[in-house]
Amino acid sequence: MPNLYLVIPEILLAVSASLLLGFGVSKTKNRAPIVRLIAIAVLVLYSVLSFLLGSQDGEAFKGALIIDGYARYVKFFIGMAAAAGLLLAGDYLEREKLDKYEFSVLTLYAVLGMSIMVSANNLLALYIGVEMQALALYVMAAFNRDSLRASEAGLKYFVLGALSSGLLLYGISLIYGFTGTLNFEAVATSIQSNGLSAGVVAGMVFLLCGLGFKISAAPFHMWTPDVYEGSPTPVTGFFAGAPKFAAIALIARLVMGPFGDITDQWQQVIIVLAVMSMFIGAIGALRQTNIKRLMAYSSIANMGYALVPLAAGTVSGLRGMLIFMTIYLITVIGVFACILQMRIRDGMVERISDLSGISKTNRGMAIAMTAFMLSLMGIPPLLGFFGKLFAFYPAVQSGLTWLVVLALIASVIGAFYYLRVIKTMWFDESEHEFINPVRALSWTSAISALLLIGFVMIPFVARTGQDWISIAATSLF
Amino acid sequence: MLVAISFYLLAFVAIASAFMVVASRNPVHSVMFLIVTFFSAAGLFILMGAEFLALLLVMVYVGAVAVLFLFVVMMLDVDFVELKQGFLQYLPFGFVVALILLAEMIMVGAAYFTGETKALATYSGEKSNLERFGEVLYTDYAFFFEAAGLVLLVAMIGAIVLTLRERDGVRKQDITKQVGRTRETAIEMVDIESGQGVG
Amino acid sequence: MLYQAIVFLPLLGALIAGLGGRKIGEKPSMAITTGLLMVSAILSWVAFSKVALGGHTEEIELFRFMDVGGFKANWALKIDTLTAVMLVVVNTVSALVHLYSWGYMDEDPHKPRFFAYLSLFTFAMLMLVTANNFIQMFFGWEGVGLASYLLIGFWYKKPSANAAAIKAFVTNRVGDVGLALGVMTIFLVFGSVNFDTVFSAVHDNQDRILSFLGMEFNAIELIAFLLFVGAMGKSAQFILHVWLPDAMEGPTPVSALIHAATMVTAGVFLVCRAYPIYEAAPVTSGFITVLGAFTAFFAATVGLVQNDIKRVIAYSTCSQLGYMFFAAGIGAYNAAMFHLFTHAFFKALLFLGAGSVIHALHHEQDMRKMGGIWKVVPVTYIVMIIGTLAITGVGIPGTGNIGFAGFASKDLIIESAYDAAHGGSAAGAFAFWAGIVAALMTSFYSWRLIFMTFHGKHRGEKKVLDHAHESPLTMLIPLGVLAFGALFAGMFFYKKFAYGVNDFWGHALPMQHAQIAADNLYAAAGTTMSDEAAGHHSYPAWVLWAPFIVSALGFVIAWFTYMYKNGVEKRVNAEGGPLYNFLLNKWYIDELYDATIVRATRWLGDVFWKVGDIGIIDRFGPNGVAAAAMSIGKRLSKIQSGYLYHYAFIMLIGVAAIIALVMRTVGG
Repeated sequence: MPNLYLVIPEILLAVSASLLLGFGVSKTKNRAPIVRLIAIAVLVLYSVLSFLLGSQDGEAFKGALIIDGYARYVKFFIGMAAAAGLLLAGDYLEREKLDKYEFSVLTLYAVLGMSIMVSANNLLALYIGVEMQALALYVMAAFNRDSLRASEAGLKYFVLGALSSGLLLYGISLIYGFTGTLNFEAVATSIQSNGLSAGVVAGMVFLLCGLGFKISAAPFHMWTPDVYEGSPTPVTGFFAGAPKFAAIALIARLVMGPFGDITDQWQQVIIVLAVMSMFIGAIGALRQTNIKRLMAYSSIANMGYALVPLAAGTVSGLRGMLIFMTIYLITVIGVFACILQMRIRDGMVERISDLSGISKTNRGMAIAMTAFMLSLMGIPPLLGFFGKLFAFYPAVQSGLTWLVVLALIASVIGAFYYLRVIKTMWFDESEHEFINPVRALSWTSAISALLLIGFVMIPFVARTGQDWISIAATSLF
Repeated sequence: MLVAISFYLLAFVAIASAFMVVASRNPVHSVMFLIVTFFSAAGLFILMGAEFLALLLVMVYVGAVAVLFLFVVMMLDVDFVELKQGFLQYLPFGFVVALILLAEMIMVGAAYFTGETKALATYSGEKSNLERFGEVLYTDYAFFFEAAGLVLLVAMIGAIVLTLRERDGVRKQDITKQVGRTRETAIEMVDIESGQGVG
Repeated sequence: MLYQAIVFLPLLGALIAGLGGRKIGEKPSMAITTGLLMVSAILSWVAFSKVALGGHTEEIELFRFMDVGGFKANWALKIDTLTAVMLVVVNTVSALVHLYSWGYMDEDPHKPRFFAYLSLFTFAMLMLVTANNFIQMFFGWEGVGLASYLLIGFWYKKPSANAAAIKAFVTNRVGDVGLALGVMTIFLVFGSVNFDTVFSAVHDNQDRILSFLGMEFNAIELIAFLLFVGAMGKSAQFILHVWLPDAMEGPTPVSALIHAATMVTAGVFLVCRAYPIYEAAPVTSGFITVLGAFTAFFAATVGLVQNDIKRVIAYSTCSQLGYMFFAAGIGAYNAAMFHLFTHAFFKALLFLGAGSVIHALHHEQDMRKMGGIWKVVPVTYIVMIIGTLAITGVGIPGTGNIGFAGFASKDLIIESAYDAAHGGSAAGAFAFWAGIVAALMTSFYSWRLIFMTFHGKHRGEKKVLDHAHESPLTMLIPLGVLAFGALFAGMFFYKKFAYGVNDFWGHALPMQHAQIAADNLYAAAGTTMSDEAAGHHSYPAWVLWAPFIVSALGFVIAWFTYMYKNGVEKRVNAEGGPLYNFLLNKWYIDELYDATIVRATRWLGDVFWKVGDIGIIDRFGPNGVAAAAMSIGKRLSKIQSGYLYHYAFIMLIGVAAIIALVMRTVGG
C-alpha cells in the first residue's frame, strides 16, 4: 500500500487519538494533563509530518483524498493552531474544573476531520471530514456542561450545524445526481463536457452555503456570536482559528477544482458572502460589550476579507487568501491567549470594560493586545497590513475594485471597535488587576505579537515563505 | 404500469405525510407521520430494487430513530403549543421563502429532464444487494467506512462526555476489584486453640 | 565643515537641552546650549571674514529634501556675503542673549526648556538665512515662527502671554499665506524654487502675465508683492504690525533676540535676497517704499506716548524696520542690510538694557513707576545711553561714518531716499520726509525713555527701589559687547556695507545705487571716488545735516518736557488730549481689527463651525455614518435574538436568495 505513505499524518492522528482514548479509560491519576501533553506532541508531529513528508504529491484511497502542496500548507497551520489551542486550554480547564482527557481526544479528532476536509478529493470525503470536525466541535462547545450558556451554545451550534449539514448533503446529492460522480476531477470533467446545468449550479450553491456556515460567513453567521460567547474561552479561541482555515481552504479547493469552469456562478456566491460578512461583521461588532462576542464579529468580518481574494479566482488571489488566513490565525491565537489572561481573583471576566486601564496593571498584555488590535485593523508596520494588502491586491488585479473599496469601507468601520479596545486599555481608569497568568499564556501572546511585528516575519514574508505559499497556491491549478 | 402507479402513490404519500409532520399540532402525531414517511421511502427503494436499503431504513429509522423520537416527545414535557406560538407570525415569510425554494427546485428538476436523459445504472441481478454492498464497502469505500466509524465514535464520546456523571460516595460494583481479589486479601486464617474461645 | 558646524551646533544644543534637559539638569543644559552657540558665533565671524572680506562664496548641498516631478528642493547652505552678515548677526546676538539669560532667567524653573527654545530658534533662523531655495527658506521661516510662538508664550501660565503668542502666530499666518502663495507662484512661473535658477530667469519673464479670476497680473510684480506680504507679517510692517508690541509679553532676552535683532529682520533679508525680483518689479518696490516709510512714521508716533518700557522699544523696532524696508524699496539694499546689521547691535543693547532695568526693579515695566535709578544701576545706565545715542544717530554729519552705529546706517538710508526723490520718485520723496520726521520722534521717545527711567525721582514703591541692584556679570558682559558694537559697528563697516569696498558684497547685492550714493557723498566732501562722479550731484548740505538736527531737536524737546521742572511728574499725572489718547491707543488699530476682521472672522468661523461643520459635514459625514452604523448595529443585534428558529430561518432565506441570484445567470 504505497498510498498509505501519503496519509501517515492522518493515520497518526486517528491511531493516537484512539490510543489516548484507551489510556484515558484506565483510571490513571492526572491522566488529563498527560493526555493533553501527548496530544500537543502528536499535533506538532502531525504538522511537521504533513509538511515534511510533502515532497510527494498524490492521491490516497482511490482518489478519496488528495495530498498536494496546498493541503500540506494548510495542514501545517491547522496542526500548529490546534496545538497552541490545547496549550492555552490547559490552565483554563484546570481552574474551571473541566479538565477531562476527552477534551484533548476530541481536539485530535477535530483536527483529523479538518485534515480530511483539506485533503478531500471526493464529495463523500468532504462530508465525512466536515461532520467529524463538526461533531467534535459541538461537544467542545458544550464542554462546560454545567453552565447554562455553554449548553445552550452547544445546542444551538449543533442544531444549526445539522441544518448546514442538510444543505451540504442536499448540494452533494444534486451534484451527484447531475454529474453521476462524487470525485472532484470527474465532476469537473462532467461540467466541462456537459456545460452549465441548473442542477449543478444549485448543488454548488447549497454546498457553498453549507460550508459558508462553517466559516461563519454572513448570512450563515448567526450562530457565531452566541456560540463564541457561550463556549469555554479556549474552545472559542480554537473555533476562531483552525476550523475556519480548514473550511475556507475546502471552499477554495472546491471552487478552483470541480467548479473551476463555472467561475461566473461561484464568484457571485463568494462575493455575496464576502460583502455581507464584511459589513455585518464590522457593524455588528460596534455595540458589543463582551470581548468574545466582539471577536466573533471580528472573525465574521475577517472571513469576509479572506473571501475577497478568493473571488478573484486567480493564483495570486489564492496566495492572498492563504497569506491572509495565516496571519489571521496567528493573530487570533494571540488575542485569545490575551483573553485567557483576563482572570481576576473571582474567576474569568470577559467584558471589554474589564480591560480598562490594564496598561498600568498588566503592561505586557496591554502592549500585546494593542499589537493584535492594530494588526487586525491593518496598520502598516504590523503583519495585518500585509495580510490585507496581499488579500485585496489580487482582487484589484482581477477588476474587482469595487469589492475592494467595500472591503476598505468595512475595514474603516471595523477600526472603530478595535480602537475602542485600545482606548479602553490605555486611557480608561483601571477597575481591577488581573492575576498573574501562567507562563504558557503570556508566552503565547508575546510570541504571536512578536510574529505580527513584521520584522520577525521578514524571512517568512520574503523568499521562503512566499515560495511555500506560491507552491501551495499553484498546486490547485 | 403497476410500477408507475405504485411509484406515484408512494411518492404522494411520502410528500403528504412529510408535510403533516410539520403541520400537525400533536407532536405524537408528527412522529407517526414521520414513520409513515419512512415507510413510503422504503417502498420507493424497493421499487428501485434496493431492498437491503429499504430494510435498513425501516429497521434503523423506524425501529430505532423514530421510536427514540417518540420516547423523547412523550417523556419530556415540552409544551409544543408554546413553541409554535410564533409560527403564525412567521408563516407568511416562511411561506414566501418556501415558495421561492420550491420554484428553484422545480427549475432544477426541469433542467434534469430537459437535459439529456441518463440511463439508470441497471442492476444485473446476479448477486444480491448485500453481496454487492459488501464488495465495495470494504474495498473501494474502505476509507469512508472507517472514517464514518470514527465519526460515530466521536459522537459517542461526545454523548458520554456530556452526560456521564461520576458521583463520589456511591457504592458501586467494581468488577476489577472483585476479580482482582486474591485468597490472601479475602481470607484470614486464625488459629484458635480449643477450649480457649476467641476472646 | 565650518558652515555645517555653524548651522547645526545650535540644533544639537536644542536637542540636548530640549529632550534631555530633565535628565542632565539645569546647569549642564544651559552650559551646553550657550557653549555651542558661543562656538557657533565665533565660527560665524571666521566665516564672515572668509566670505565677506575674503570674497569666498560657497554653496553646499546637504541632503535631498523634496524631489517630485520637476519640483526639486534640497537642504543646502548658500554662503555669500548676505548670508555671512546674517550669520554674524544671528549667532552673535543669540550667543550674547544665551549668556544674558543665565542672569535674567535665574529664578525661572524651566530654564532647560527656555534655552532649548532659544537654540531651536537660532537653528531655524540659520536655516532661513542659509537657504538656497524658497522651500528651505520657508521651512526656516516657519521654524522661527514656531520658536517665536513658543517663546512669547514661554510663561504659559500668564493668560496675556498666551494671548500674545496666539496673536503673533495668527498674524504671522496671514503673512505666511502670502509667502506660500508667492513661492507657489514662483514655481508656477519659473518651474523651480532654487534662488539661482529663479533669479537668472527673472529677466526673461519680465513681461509674463498671469491671469487669475479674469484679472491679469504681471507675474513678477505679483510674486514680489506676495513675497512682501510674507515679509510684512514677519517684520511687523503696518497692517500686520499688531503682534510685535504684544510679543513683549515674552521674556526680555527673547524680545532682544527675536523681536529686535533677528527674526523680525527676516522680511528685510527676504527682500534683499530676492532683489532681482524687486529690481524687476518697480510698482511693488514703490509700494514697499511707501509702506516702509509710513511704518517708520506711524510706529514712531505711537512710540512717543507708550509707558511700558519694552513697548516703547518694540515700536522703535517697528519704526526702524520701516527704515530698512523703504531703503530696500528704493533699491538701496546694501543700506537696508547695513541698518539691519547695526540695528541688531543697538536694539539688542536697548532691549537687554531695558531687561536689566526690569530685572533690577523686580519685573516692573511701567516707566511711570521708574525714575532716578541711574545711580543704582550705573553700568546699565551707561550702556543705555550708548544705545540711545546709537539709535538717534549721533555722529558728525558729512563724514559719513564718524559716529555711533545708527548714525552711519540711518543717514545712509535717508541719503539714499533723497537720491531716489531727486531721481523723480514720489515714493522716495515721501520716504525721505517720513524718515526725517520719524528721526525726530525717534530721538524724542528714546530720550524720554532714558529720562523717565533713570532720572528724576523714583515714582514706584520705595521698597522696590531699596531692593534694586545692578545686574549680575552674566548680564553685564553681553551689554558691554553690544555697547561696543553699537559704538563701532557703524564706523568700522561703513565703507564696506555702503560702497562695497573690496567687492564686499560680491554678487549678493547690486551696487549701482551704492555707487551713486558714495559718489555723491564724496562729492559733498570735496573729493571724488571715481572719475565718473563728475556728472553727479552732490548732496546739499541740509540733507546731510537734517537727520542730525532733528535728532538734536528731539533731545531738546524731550529734555524740556521731562527733565525741566519735574516734567515727568506733571506728565504722568496730566490728562492726555485726544491726540495723546489716539497715539496711546496705537491709532486704535487693534480696536479697528477687533471690530472688523476679528469679529467678522469669528462670526464666519462660527458659521462654518456650527452650520458647516457640525450642521452639514459632521451630521452627514462622520457622525451621520457613525450613527447609521450604530443604528444598523442595533437592528442587527435585534435580529441576533438568540432564538434558534430565527437563525435557521435567516439561513434559509440566505440560501434561497443566493440561489435565485445565481440561477438568474443560468437561466433555467
